[in-house]
Amino acid sequence: MLQGWIQIGLTLLILVAITPLFGGYMARVYQEEKTFFDRILNPLDRLLYSAIGVQPKENMTGWQYARAAISSNIVMALLIFFLIMNQGWLPLNPTRVPAPTWDTALHTTISFITNTNQQHYSGETYLSYGSQMLGLGYHMFTSAATGLAVGIAFIRGLTGKPLGNFYVDLIRSITRILLPISIVGAIALLAAGVPETLAGVVVVPTLEDPAVSQAIARGPVAHYEFIKELGENGGGFFAINSAHPFENPNGFTNLVQLVAILSVPSSLIYTYGVFANNIKQALLVYLIPLSILVGFVILTAIAEYNGNPAVNALLNVDQAPNLEGKEVRFGWAQSALYAVITTASMCGAINSLHDSFMPNGGFATLSNMFLQIVFGGQGTGTAYLFAYLLLAVFVTGLMVGRTPEFLGRKIEKREVVLASFLILLVHPIAILIPGAITMAFPDQLSGISNPGFHGLSQVMYEYASAAANNGSGFEGLGDSQPSPIAIAGGAETSTTALWWNLSTCFSLLAGRYIPIVSLLLLADGLSRKQPVPETVGTLRTDTGLFTGVTAGVILILGALTFFPILALGPIAEAFLISRGIG
Amino acid sequence: MQTSTTATRGTRDSRRHTPKADMSGVYQRAIRESFVKLDPRIVVRNPVMFIVWVGTIVTLLVTIDPNLFGTVSADAGNQRLLNGLITLILFLTVLFANFAEAVAEGRGKAQADSLRSTRSDTVARKLLPNGSIQEVSSTELRRGDQVQVVAGDMIPADGEVVRGIASVDESAITGESAPVLKQPGTDISSSVTGGTRILSDELIINVTSDPGQGFIDRMIALVEGAERTKTPNEIALTVLLTVLTLVFLIVVATVSPLANYVEAPTTIAILISLLVALIPTTIGGLLSAIGIAGMDRVAQFNVIATSGRAVEACGDVNTLVLDKTGTITLGNRLADEFIPVNGHSVEELAQVALAASVFDETPEGKSIVQLAEREYQAKVGFDRSTAEGVEFSARTRMSGTDLPNGREIRKGAVDAVKGFVRSRGGKIPAEIDEAYARVSRLGGTPLAVCQDGEMYGVIYLKDIVKAGLRERFDQLRRMGVKTIMLTGDNAITASVIAQEAGVDDFIAEATPEDKIDVIRREQNEGKLVAMTGDGTNDAPALAQANVGVAMNSGTQAAKEAANMVDLDSDPTKLIDLVAIGKQLLITRGALTTFSIANDIAKYFAIIPTIFAAAGIGALNIMGLKSPQSAIISALIYNALIIPALIPLALKGVQFRPLTANQLLRRNILIYGVGGVIAPFIAIKLIDLIIPFS
Amino acid sequence: MKNYSSRTEAIESTIAIWSQFRRQKLPLRLFLALCLNLLIAPAVFATTESGLSRSQSYWIGALGLVTVALAIYLFFVMFAPEKF
Repeated sequence: MLQGWIQIGLTLLILVAITPLFGGYMARVYQEEKTFFDRILNPLDRLLYSAIGVQPKENMTGWQYARAAISSNIVMALLIFFLIMNQGWLPLNPTRVPAPTWDTALHTTISFITNTNQQHYSGETYLSYGSQMLGLGYHMFTSAATGLAVGIAFIRGLTGKPLGNFYVDLIRSITRILLPISIVGAIALLAAGVPETLAGVVVVPTLEDPAVSQAIARGPVAHYEFIKELGENGGGFFAINSAHPFENPNGFTNLVQLVAILSVPSSLIYTYGVFANNIKQALLVYLIPLSILVGFVILTAIAEYNGNPAVNALLNVDQAPNLEGKEVRFGWAQSALYAVITTASMCGAINSLHDSFMPNGGFATLSNMFLQIVFGGQGTGTAYLFAYLLLAVFVTGLMVGRTPEFLGRKIEKREVVLASFLILLVHPIAILIPGAITMAFPDQLSGISNPGFHGLSQVMYEYASAAANNGSGFEGLGDSQPSPIAIAGGAETSTTALWWNLSTCFSLLAGRYIPIVSLLLLADGLSRKQPVPETVGTLRTDTGLFTGVTAGVILILGALTFFPILALGPIAEAFLISRGIG
Repeated sequence: MQTSTTATRGTRDSRRHTPKADMSGVYQRAIRESFVKLDPRIVVRNPVMFIVWVGTIVTLLVTIDPNLFGTVSADAGNQRLLNGLITLILFLTVLFANFAEAVAEGRGKAQADSLRSTRSDTVARKLLPNGSIQEVSSTELRRGDQVQVVAGDMIPADGEVVRGIASVDESAITGESAPVLKQPGTDISSSVTGGTRILSDELIINVTSDPGQGFIDRMIALVEGAERTKTPNEIALTVLLTVLTLVFLIVVATVSPLANYVEAPTTIAILISLLVALIPTTIGGLLSAIGIAGMDRVAQFNVIATSGRAVEACGDVNTLVLDKTGTITLGNRLADEFIPVNGHSVEELAQVALAASVFDETPEGKSIVQLAEREYQAKVGFDRSTAEGVEFSARTRMSGTDLPNGREIRKGAVDAVKGFVRSRGGKIPAEIDEAYARVSRLGGTPLAVCQDGEMYGVIYLKDIVKAGLRERFDQLRRMGVKTIMLTGDNAITASVIAQEAGVDDFIAEATPEDKIDVIRREQNEGKLVAMTGDGTNDAPALAQANVGVAMNSGTQAAKEAANMVDLDSDPTKLIDLVAIGKQLLITRGALTTFSIANDIAKYFAIIPTIFAAAGIGALNIMGLKSPQSAIISALIYNALIIPALIPLALKGVQFRPLTANQLLRRNILIYGVGGVIAPFIAIKLIDLIIPFS
Repeated sequence: MKNYSSRTEAIESTIAIWSQFRRQKLPLRLFLALCLNLLIAPAVFATTESGLSRSQSYWIGALGLVTVALAIYLFFVMFAPEKF
């Protein structure tokens, strides 16, 4: 048991330790200060700027920034959709996979441009190497960079600076942060045993019976794997994601992945501190997601360690870790940690099946995605956290007898509309409405494998994962079309898969682009406000008291909205199990 | 130098509630009004209450037919009773919210009515261009008309005195019983207000407002809330409340299929109860009452605000720009000491100073006479009737007396007197500059005294800082409000007064242009500035300031430019206005926090009991008796908390001059933590009391 | 002749009602909502196998429309609060 807790503790310590280093580095990158890579990359940057006709010094307004982000995303989406729909005749397809159904292709496209990587397909059998590398792999960089750019623009606006230029931020995010770190990370994974090859499937005789042969899928995994984690993408090369021994062969790769997953969103809070010239506030704010994260890890890990009482009773033991759906090489501790971190950070990669977790795990992973700020998505997580801070300032700031202000900028109607719309409204709409429709017609639409409370969790998890741009799946839903090969062989397409593909597209898009536009408009408006000088009559937002207040606001406004779902899903299931009926 | 009589008017508190409003019958009227306000066209203006109102109709439908939206399992009679109770409580919730608003409006109306009583239609004598007089109703007067009023008349409209001098009783609007002298030309006392009564003599008045646009009309409209528009902060808060309402509408609307799926179905009435319990009805019901009461509190302070926005801005003020004279110091400087020079004794100086001041009717002159006679037993050694007083003029900057024996005695600005002495062939002793410097250092005004070419000495005129101001400025500083004093005095004098009064900054030798410059400078730093003023040359600065408070004794131009008018003409009231503005915002924030914090308890009361079929009964940490009892208890709490908080909404959360952090800690503890805990206790108690199983 | 006049009467009254309708926004909206519910109610009726009567499905459809209308109203208040 102790070993497991030490693993968890050390991983979290490493994460906290790299935050100031990485956060400081990102601040240097986005404040255009000198960095290590400048000598090589500056000429490349200039070449790119002139190629796409961007004036790098030109600042954009919120609308321009949002338009640039969305229009570039649309172009990329068209490209990837074209690639997938035509993979049958395009090169780099050694396994000869034909095109998947249109709805799978559409869902995959939208899921990857929104940095969600929700997968209603299995990489090995649905997509060619070309689609994975050129389509998805490329998107893992650009969608992550889009999020980072928006997050940085938000931080700039919040701290009263011009928003910057989307194309510059996008390019710098890739060339200074994502690409260099990915190269190093991919080599590390390669060294630890992750394959990287363009060769097709290996067919080998099995050990048990040499007459029977087994086809082992492989491919260019290592480079794909690292950006999957670093960019909060989470779409695995193989269907079972980081549980696959080629994606995540051992404890070392698991550690590398965990650190990569959480490094950007957690460090970005520090970057905010550098921009705002207020490291103290950044550290205080950092405590909110960190303490929620630690709480959820403990909650999940304890339940996994103790295991299912019903199973334990059959085994005649008091306690045995719940290892259903887990890789034994990771055990209860690293699986629980991975599950919480991947849902907290909107990565969505998995190294164990969340469906098989005890209800505590379902509660923690669902809550992570409902909150979206437990470090949260690439760039957007930090932005959401500060949008919550704005709401907390607005609600409680009145109580000091002034029009509420954050960093000297008044929070007025426009800010409240954008922040509350963003934080309080979009998420419930994107999760609850399609969720309720699915639950109203469970037989026709959902294809739930487990009825009852667990089935409810499965459905709501899927939409929460889509709306939060997480991408992990609780699984157990009829959300996949048959593979293109099977369809070519005459398999029938499924209507539940069609419903899932289309309805999650709604959640994906609503959960990504409405917040991006709102965040940028919010930042734009704030950056244009005349700052009010700080006096003793001004509410200080960098105190422990106010940080506590913000946590309370997050709990009440963010979490209580989803309390009925948690009550009818994981909580009800937990009570059910504790009564010994599960 | 303007004189102000505020210091003699007694304390502010003794003049509150003037004119006294008749509050009897306010509550009966409010009850009637709360039913009138059930009109959907009125309720629709309050999004939170409109949802409750629609919910009430739906629950009424299921009271009539419990099986309307699907057959319920429980027996219909029981269901009907529950639905009926829910309907009743929801109805009361809307009614209570209406009542809160109606009481606030009623108090304003009572205030307005007592003002309106002064506003009876009077007959005015209008001067026609040909000089003849025509009797018209006061309502027919237009801006630019001239009217004649004589002793005993009611002044028919707001205006400026163009001819005549008369005393006017303004007690109807200011509550101040002493009559005020009105005469043309002077900045201060030439404006008259409709509804006041002229006591002596006669005046010709140039009407400055159209009927219904006058001062009192504006005040009536404002305190009645007829012209109430939402303030910026109220709008922002409405947005938040609307979003919360919408979020919970979505939550409740979507929970039904989920509950059905896990085989824990509920009824429509219970879902509506859940919705009403979760949406912020407390603040939604009290929001407009808080705003109206804020305006009312300003009116009770005898200040007319032209908009709620101005009252709200008071709370945000960062800088107060205050005139020294009349605001920080009593208007008058008083003789405090005689400093002889040239080898003269103090008695000799007192004698000459007395002689120089016998014809001086200004308070300064009188104080010199008083000091000379009382302290030094000086006597007037000449025949007054044959002597001649020399009036002060801006050119000579001296006044004095020409004695019958031909000697000229002068007192005045040191420079001017020096010039006079030189012109009479006298010498200027070096001590005079020392004396001048000493007096200036003390913050006083030095007046030199001479007789012909002989310099006698310097009179130290002391500025008297109003009592209790230092403490108030300290309070303001603790709230983060900076004070800037403007004065025409030189820098040395100004700094001494500034230090004595405890202001943060001062502008010496200030001109009216400096006033507007200092306001602009502060505003460019992003600060909100408040100032008071009364003269016509203050009008641009009053308009520039974020909160401009004109004195009622001031000119019409100043009052037009300001966004508030103080009927008592007490410049220090600005400090109270800051507190009122802050109190308004704090009350809103406190009740919003309380309302939202309540949701935790309501969730824990309702969700576990209504979804008991899902086996989550253990979450029922309050141990409520039954789903029915839990719903009813939560709803009763939800409804009763509105009337329970009406007094707080009307009176406002008590404001203390603390720093922002201290205020936050205190209010979070009371309204945030209290808001989490209170409903747990209250709902449990209600659950114990009601006989519902 | 009589026939003709009654026909013009009918046309005239139809026009009168229509013009009234166009001026009176609320009744028109309510009428359209009820018409819409004629489409929704049978769908509700068809999709729930458990014993819902026709009138119950009609009422549920109406309740759904009311909920949607309230949501639209709240959206409107959210973006233009000063109008309320």
